[in-house]
Amino acid sequence: MKKIALLFFILVSYVYGYTYNKLLLKAQASIFPKIIMLDKKLYEKLVDGKIVYTIVYEKNDYYTASEIGRFIEANYKNASTKYAYKINLVEFSEFSSETEATAIYVLNSNNQVQELVDYAKKKGIITFAYDINYLKSGFLFSLMLEKSAVIYLNKDNLNSNKIDFVDSLYQIVNFLDKSSG
Amino acid sequence: MNKKKFSSLSNKIVFSIAFVSLAITIVVFIISSKINKEAFHQIEIEKATIIAQTIEPLIAVNIYLEMEDKINQIILQLIENPNILAIKVIKNDKLINYIESKEYKSDIKESFVVKRTLTQPNSTKTIGELVLVYSNKGYKKLIAKYTNLTLMLIVTLVVLFILFGLYVKKLLRPLREISKLLKNYSVNKNIQIPFISQNNEIGLISNTLNNMQQKILQYSKKQENINRFLEEKVNEKTLELNAQLYIDALTGLPNRFSMFHEIDKIKDGALLIINIDDFKEINDFFGHVAGDSILKKFSNRLKDIFKDNEFISLKRLSGDEFALLFAQKPPLQEFINIGEKLIEDVEKMLFFHEKSEVSIRVTIGGAYQIEGALEKADIALKSAKKQQKSFLLYDEKLNIEDEYKKNMEWVKKLKKAIERDRIVPYFQPIFDNSTDKIASYECLIRLIDDEDSVISPYYFLNIAKKSRLYSTLTKIMVEKSCIYFEYLNYAFSINLSVEDILDKDVVNYIKEKIQTHNVANRIIFEILESEGIEEYEEVSAFIGEMKRLGCRIAVDDFGSGYSNFEHLLKLNVDYIKIDGTLIKNLDKDISAQIIVGTIVDFAKRLNLLTVAEFVHNKEIFEKVKELNVDRTQGYFLSEPQKSTINN
Repeated sequence: MKKIALLFFILVSYVYGYTYNKLLLKAQASIFPKIIMLDKKLYEKLVDGKIVYTIVYEKNDYYTASEIGRFIEANYKNASTKYAYKINLVEFSEFSSETEATAIYVLNSNNQVQELVDYAKKKGIITFAYDINYLKSGFLFSLMLEKSAVIYLNKDNLNSNKIDFVDSLYQIVNFLDKSSG
Repeated sequence: MNKKKFSSLSNKIVFSIAFVSLAITIVVFIISSKINKEAFHQIEIEKATIIAQTIEPLIAVNIYLEMEDKINQIILQLIENPNILAIKVIKNDKLINYIESKEYKSDIKESFVVKRTLTQPNSTKTIGELVLVYSNKGYKKLIAKYTNLTLMLIVTLVVLFILFGLYVKKLLRPLREISKLLKNYSVNKNIQIPFISQNNEIGLISNTLNNMQQKILQYSKKQENINRFLEEKVNEKTLELNAQLYIDALTGLPNRFSMFHEIDKIKDGALLIINIDDFKEINDFFGHVAGDSILKKFSNRLKDIFKDNEFISLKRLSGDEFALLFAQKPPLQEFINIGEKLIEDVEKMLFFHEKSEVSIRVTIGGAYQIEGALEKADIALKSAKKQQKSFLLYDEKLNIEDEYKKNMEWVKKLKKAIERDRIVPYFQPIFDNSTDKIASYECLIRLIDDEDSVISPYYFLNIAKKSRLYSTLTKIMVEKSCIYFEYLNYAFSINLSVEDILDKDVVNYIKEKIQTHNVANRIIFEILESEGIEEYEEVSAFIGEMKRLGCRIAVDDFGSGYSNFEHLLKLNVDYIKIDGTLIKNLDKDISAQIIVGTIVDFAKRLNLLTVAEFVHNKEIFEKVKELNVDRTQGYFLSEPQKSTINN
């Protein structure tokens, strides 16, 4: 019986990909696009005059990624922002140096993300991760639901030359650095 | 009287309020200035602190994120604030940014420093320090602004108080005007005070003053009437009193005062004083109404006698004493004749009271000189009475003045002797004729003068009576005699006058001394058998009281003129001392022998002891014994001594 149950979970995870906290996903989908707006050098990151929010996912997480995409589009469809938003869904396997992005949001993945991180740093793309552990890999922001929603920023990953957030952002984020472990 | 300087009430009110208000303002200013200065300074510090607090997180983040260019941007923006003079950013004890304003460079000393510790974001770890040098310019501006406002407030207050003062003065001006009007006020002048129509305190005062004026006017009219009435009454009474003062009410004659008044104006006059003899008897016998009536009639007759003589005026000096004052001295003989004639005329006068005829006699004393006329005529009158003459003219040779002088000297001497304890008893023994032994002693008063001479009472006793020293002498004698005989086994006698017995103070003193010295059963009181002794109930009461105490009583000088055996019985005496005038010639005078024999016989029947005094020779002593007199006293047997024989 135990074996059947284990098999069931394996299959489910295979079919349905990683398990995500929907509330966390929604929170991140609400806040991360706004953080992009706080970059004073955003205009340098625009693609065709648009903010391209690229969601990188594993194949099994397509549904989750598209859900996030839809949520963001719905939120910013009628928003009177200076720049238009474009959601770009990209599978990890398809991500390359050709992938256009103003900011990258990654869901969980088994693949190495280092290439993606290096590319982003090089291009000055703002990076967000669903999982906070990805910050150790070089991602810039993540968000956790604690007593409230807490934005984490890895100080070591902040490329000040190409990314220049408004000072107020620094007042509200929690910094992580090497000493944080 | 100094005129008081006018001091305006309105000024005082205004100045008082102004002074108090300014004092309060200044105190408030000083206190608030101190508080505000501190508050202003605190504000500046807080402003600087807020600025520092505002930029502190940004600087901290930028230090943490090592964005030094951003730090530069921030402090460059900050230094544009004119109040910030310098900014220092220290990262881990190392100065990484320092910027100064131009003003600071020009060495502005008025500044303060605010320091903030920079901590790592989301951590308490210190990563540096932010130092702001802040200018005091703002603080100074605030202080200057505050001072200006206060000065403006004071100036405004002063102006307001001046206006207030003027207003108060204006309000109180009617009071000044009223006071000016009232300055000229007098009872008969009605002053119309304005401001009656004012509906305020001034109006009330004005109305009240007007009413008051009316009331004062009415009152003053009443007072005037009363005063006029009183003046009239006073004048009437003054006239009455003057009349009473100088006129005798009974006879209508000018009185003694009138004479004093008149006598001063006479330069060469004379005076006769007329005294009705024994007028007291007329009063006592017929009564005072009759006495007054006789006096009135007598004065009328005198008036009639002298009515034609313009130089003689008749006065009434006292009850039975009249005077004839001569404004011009007649010849001496004529003066004497007038007096003598008057005496004769009066003797012929007859007065009637009811159905009784009353005749009177007068004694006249005259002074043939105006100087001291009243005293001199009085002396002459007294001398005339003494000499039982009807008329006597004052004469220096009468030596009356000398006698007065002598009397006065004796009074002085007596007082001195009393003061110096020089009044002493001398003791004369009284012998029992049956045993020839001393039966008792008589205590006799003596005065020891400054030359230690022993003075007999003959010289001073009458004077003592006149000068009211008699009772003092009696007391001295009683006390000294009682003390002397307290421890001697002899009876002793003391002389008492009727006046002594009538004096309660003396009687109480005698009782006290008798009891104190325990001599009641040995003391004998010798009471003079004089006029009136039997008439006094007090004398009888005294004898009774003394006998109850154990004392004995002797009647002194019995047989001297008023002897009454019946009274002797009533008085219940123990001894009869036969009068010396009967004894001193007893050996030769047959009638004296008969009288003494009768007295002795009478005394024997009454069981009374008889004493013969003034026995001065053997013949008399023998006769005394022969007549069965019980006891003998006199110089023949012993003179009075200052001590008893045994001592």
